[in-house]
Amino acid sequence: MSTIRVSGLRVRHRRTVALDAVDLDLGPGVHGLLGPNGAGKTSLIRVLATVAQASAGRVEILGEDVGEPARRGAVRARLGYLPQEFGYYPGFTVREFVAYVAWLKDMTAADVPAAVELALHRVGLGDRADAKVKTLSGGMVRRLGIAQAIVNEPEILLLDEPTAGLDPEQRVEFRALLRELGVRATVLVSTHLVEDVAAACTEVTLLDAGRVAYRGTPASLSAVGEATGPDGIGDSGIERGYTAALRAHRTPVEPTR
Amino acid sequence: MSTTPWHASADLAARYADGSLPESDAWSLEKHLERCGACAARVSAAVRQSPAAGPVLARMREAVLKEAAPMETVLKEAVCAKAARRESREAGPAAAHAAHPPAGGHPLASGHVGGPVAAPLLTPPARSVLRARPRARFLLRALWAAGPAFRGAWLPAVWLVALGALALSQGAGADASRPLLLALAPVVPVAGVALSYGAHADPLHEIAAATPCGGLRLMLTRTAAVLAVSVPLLTLTGVLLPASGTPGAAAWLLPGLTLTLASLALAGWVGCRAATALTGGGWLCAVLVPSWASGGAALTELTQQLDRCLAGSRAQGAWGAAAVLCAALLAARRSAYDHMEKP
Repeated sequence: MSTIRVSGLRVRHRRTVALDAVDLDLGPGVHGLLGPNGAGKTSLIRVLATVAQASAGRVEILGEDVGEPARRGAVRARLGYLPQEFGYYPGFTVREFVAYVAWLKDMTAADVPAAVELALHRVGLGDRADAKVKTLSGGMVRRLGIAQAIVNEPEILLLDEPTAGLDPEQRVEFRALLRELGVRATVLVSTHLVEDVAAACTEVTLLDAGRVAYRGTPASLSAVGEATGPDGIGDSGIERGYTAALRAHRTPVEPTR
Repeated sequence: MSTTPWHASADLAARYADGSLPESDAWSLEKHLERCGACAARVSAAVRQSPAAGPVLARMREAVLKEAAPMETVLKEAVCAKAARRESREAGPAAAHAAHPPAGGHPLASGHVGGPVAAPLLTPPARSVLRARPRARFLLRALWAAGPAFRGAWLPAVWLVALGALALSQGAGADASRPLLLALAPVVPVAGVALSYGAHADPLHEIAAATPCGGLRLMLTRTAAVLAVSVPLLTLTGVLLPASGTPGAAAWLLPGLTLTLASLALAGWVGCRAATALTGGGWLCAVLVPSWASGGAALTELTQQLDRCLAGSRAQGAWGAAAVLCAALLAARRSAYDHMEKP
């Protein structure tokens, strides 16, 4: 059962092509989205979040074609999205911030207080609910971003670099939360921290220069690394797999790079 | 969220009833129970059988029923239904709070709060806070809808225009105050829109754009809020100013609305910031440039120019037609607002 179907996706930003000929099929579970900077991770997530528009191709989320404006609202109510960077209103408390997003997501007013409490509890911000957002540390703001994304218990959860700014202990907790969310929801996590993928993801998609360079599981990516032998670059199996898969993808297509 | 194939197992219900279920799991179960009658019944049964919460619930039910007795039958039934539904949700805390029997008070008072584990029924101090909350919550929501304009410099700017015009009328230029106000007023709501919506103005834009409210709906909500503040304030100011012939104090309303709608319509192509700059700047140029260019009698020229732009049924009719055209454009291109400028 796939909840996200992407075929022939092409995204352009002015004159540069951010994504080209991307085909993806994702179902419930935690999917890691890896790739170097500029590979198109954020572009893909923004298209799936219905924030950016595809130049070509078809994107189907929860069975609805998001190219159809009339179907977009229904999909958006079941989405959770953490952008790479997000702002907040300075006067808001943590609870108000999440409640505001819940309101934007068209949640029933009676459900909002409980949903906000639960979301904050899940990211470990339950005790800071009445603090002003501007008093939070960077890692806490990141967790607040995760809380607003999961407040409507989304079926599709899109997280752009969620672990940036989290300390190691929080990252371990966050991975546990990811696994828990991935039981029911389709979670797509973009990251450049390869070890996050190894620990939390059931599947890995590797993007490079706007194209899918590799798809598989963390274990199969590690296997790619082991196959290249000891001269592979990287400290862990999965890191060696990452560099090896990137290299393998680049060699036939663009021999000069 | 609504159609989860997941259901509570008998084991889960039993662990929930005896309080051994971790808090986070209990919360997700409670969330599920709000939607699933079958599971609610299963958990209810488990809770009633549990040695810890069973007797407490029975006492609570009695207290609730006793209190509801003098009420109309219909209301009583409603309370029973609510109490029955709540039983399942409160089993955990009920067991925990066994030492504190439910204090007297209206059981419906906490009914509107879908709060986590609905503790307010058992903790009286929290209740007064919750009773006061709906109104505060409504006010907060109204401000949220209004969005960023009210938190920034726009609101002071509106007051500055209104009070500045009044101060001017008291001072030297009694004749100058109304033309100046009429020249500036149509730009005020346009500026409000510029500061309310879009990636440049709203720090939450990226998150909001991925929600069902995002796009045109949020933009219209915020525009409505901006108009609700600026229209009465500036029109009232105009009325308070000494009358100096045409145009009247309300003459700016239709142009103001038209410029606002034109900004929204243009925003579908060029983004909110550029669109408001075009319409607002365009208006100011059209009105102010001739009076500057004329050299000497700038004020007379401004009044004449405003007369041409605002006074008379022909001018107002043209503004009205333009407003209708812009509104039609907005409606026709509503999906364009789902994907606007990137920060």
